[in-house]
Amino acid sequence: MNLRLFSVFLLTSAMGLNTFALTAPNMSANTLFLYRNSNFHKEDVNVTTPDQEPNGFDLQEAELQFYADVDPYTRLNVLLAVAQSYVTDNTTVSQEWGIEPEEVFAESNALPATTLKIGKFKAFMGKHNTLHSHAYSFIGAPLANTTLLGDEGLNDAGISAAVLLPSSWFSEFTVQYLRGKGENEQFNSPTPGAGVGLIHWKNLVDLSDDLTVELGASYANGQNSFRKITTLSGADLTFKWRPSDGGRYNSLMWATEYLSRTQNKEAVTAEKGTGLASWIQYQFAERWAALVRYDNLEVKDSFDPTNLLNDKTERNSLALVYSPSEFSSYKFEYNQKHGGETNSDNENTEKSVFLQANFTIGAHPSHTY
Amino acid sequence: MKKLLLILLFPVFAMAKIQVATTTTDLAALVKEVGQNQVEVFSIAKGTQDPHQVEAKPSFMIKLRDSDLVIAQGLELESAWITPLMQGSRNAKLAAKNGLLEIAELLEPIEIPKGNVSRAEGDVHPGGNPHFQLDPIRLGKAAVIIAQRFGEIDPTQKTFFETNAKAFQKKMDDKTKDWQARIKKAGVKEIVTYHKTFSYFCDRFQLQCDVHLEPKPGIPPTASHLISVIDQMKKRNIHLVLIENLYEDSVGQKLKQQIPTVSVNRVPVSVEGEPSLTTNEQLIERLVKAIEEGK
Repeated sequence: MNLRLFSVFLLTSAMGLNTFALTAPNMSANTLFLYRNSNFHKEDVNVTTPDQEPNGFDLQEAELQFYADVDPYTRLNVLLAVAQSYVTDNTTVSQEWGIEPEEVFAESNALPATTLKIGKFKAFMGKHNTLHSHAYSFIGAPLANTTLLGDEGLNDAGISAAVLLPSSWFSEFTVQYLRGKGENEQFNSPTPGAGVGLIHWKNLVDLSDDLTVELGASYANGQNSFRKITTLSGADLTFKWRPSDGGRYNSLMWATEYLSRTQNKEAVTAEKGTGLASWIQYQFAERWAALVRYDNLEVKDSFDPTNLLNDKTERNSLALVYSPSEFSSYKFEYNQKHGGETNSDNENTEKSVFLQANFTIGAHPSHTY
Repeated sequence: MKKLLLILLFPVFAMAKIQVATTTTDLAALVKEVGQNQVEVFSIAKGTQDPHQVEAKPSFMIKLRDSDLVIAQGLELESAWITPLMQGSRNAKLAAKNGLLEIAELLEPIEIPKGNVSRAEGDVHPGGNPHFQLDPIRLGKAAVIIAQRFGEIDPTQKTFFETNAKAFQKKMDDKTKDWQARIKKAGVKEIVTYHKTFSYFCDRFQLQCDVHLEPKPGIPPTASHLISVIDQMKKRNIHLVLIENLYEDSVGQKLKQQIPTVSVNRVPVSVEGEPSLTTNEQLIERLVKAIEEGK
């Protein structure tokens, strides 16, 4: 959908609301502005490999969200992402903006203890994959997520059922079926009807009023473009501490996530990719937080060793966040990444600095704990 | 055989307690006054927590899973977290029309903003101030509203709930006269507070409290705003500062450095805000004493 079409959609929607006096849905907009400086990127995008982000200041992404009850049985959530892409004809590069349906799904609690979901959504493959960009702890997702699940993560059309198990702690078992097409190449099978099955088990226990521990496990299985099986597995562990007395000023989160992907192909060794990310976020004052992260990615027996190197990549990140209110924040981040691809000067270590401004207006739903 | 079953099962049904979740400890204390041994109640927020900023922990969803009713202060105080908790509980009773009872909007809210409401004014509540829990008269009315809803859930105990609510309301009415007399005797006319938590309290006890340490609701104090506060306190001869114990008292100490005669008192603003405070009456008594001692 282009911007003009979207404007017409908004206008007609507004006219419809006035005409029929329907209740307007909750609406919000979020914008991410980003300054980047990296020795792996240039001010101009390379015409032969335009899939990169140039140094300098830019609008990273805007997100428009609408949500409301459809009727007593169903809720609808529409989340549109406004983002740019680079298009090349091998001599020049042009920047194009587009609106994409990042998530569009209907949800219902019509069945006992169950949340049913249908539409396009971020699959429950690990904890980080379900986050939107503006809710990331760091500017970018962990290396394993962007490489093994794709730049936009595992996000596809499908159906989902999340069942709350009858235990004394929070224990939720989720089953999802995705169509296995679209943005996720690892499941892009040419076989008609070859979908992806995914399960996730999430457990959260209150160790005290102030401290919780969350443990999750995920597994997905589906046919890839070689008509063979790709499997994903993952585990996540998160500790959160926020004192009930003084929690406005101090809190701590320590999250660790592991992802693994195995891709099979006829007559060759299976390609194996694994990655670990662990980060700590410490809020040391009402408006300030400091973050530190280590993450890595290791690939063996790559099917495409030119674009996906058989190597181990490691990254260390530091960040400082200032949040004047819950609706705005400024993040300064430094990353040092070693291994994997090299830049045009044949350097193997990427050093990058980011400054990100994050603003939200309107009625934005709260993020998952 | 059927008769025997009915006789055996009757006590079980008759003794089934109403399961209630409240967003705050103040509401939980009210529920105990009204429901007594016929209800089981838990509060999501602790008495020392800011109810604006409670995290929607999934463990609360488990507690809400078996609740018959959620009672909230309302006016968007808990809107950021109560809806995801109720939806996450997957409890059909809470999803029904009467699953959530929001009290503040039924109690003639004050400080309803006029004109366009914008976040440029901070954490503004378009429907009015939700912090009614420090007004004993509104607490009495809230008890009656809660009793009505309990009576709808368990009609066999309707009279029991209404009697308890009326008794509580009368006690609050009587105590209010006593508290009003004591505050009048103390001679305190104006107080400074951190947030607009005391608006209903001040309204009820004829205190002026339009000076706040926050420049705007939800926005932490700035140096320039504190200078303005100090200036107003000196001009208007205000000697008492009550800081809600949800907030740190370093700002109060700065005020004391500038005006040595000022009395700065960090006080609870919710039941269980201090370990000894288990009822709404004890909470208001604690605040009245703070005013008497800080005059």
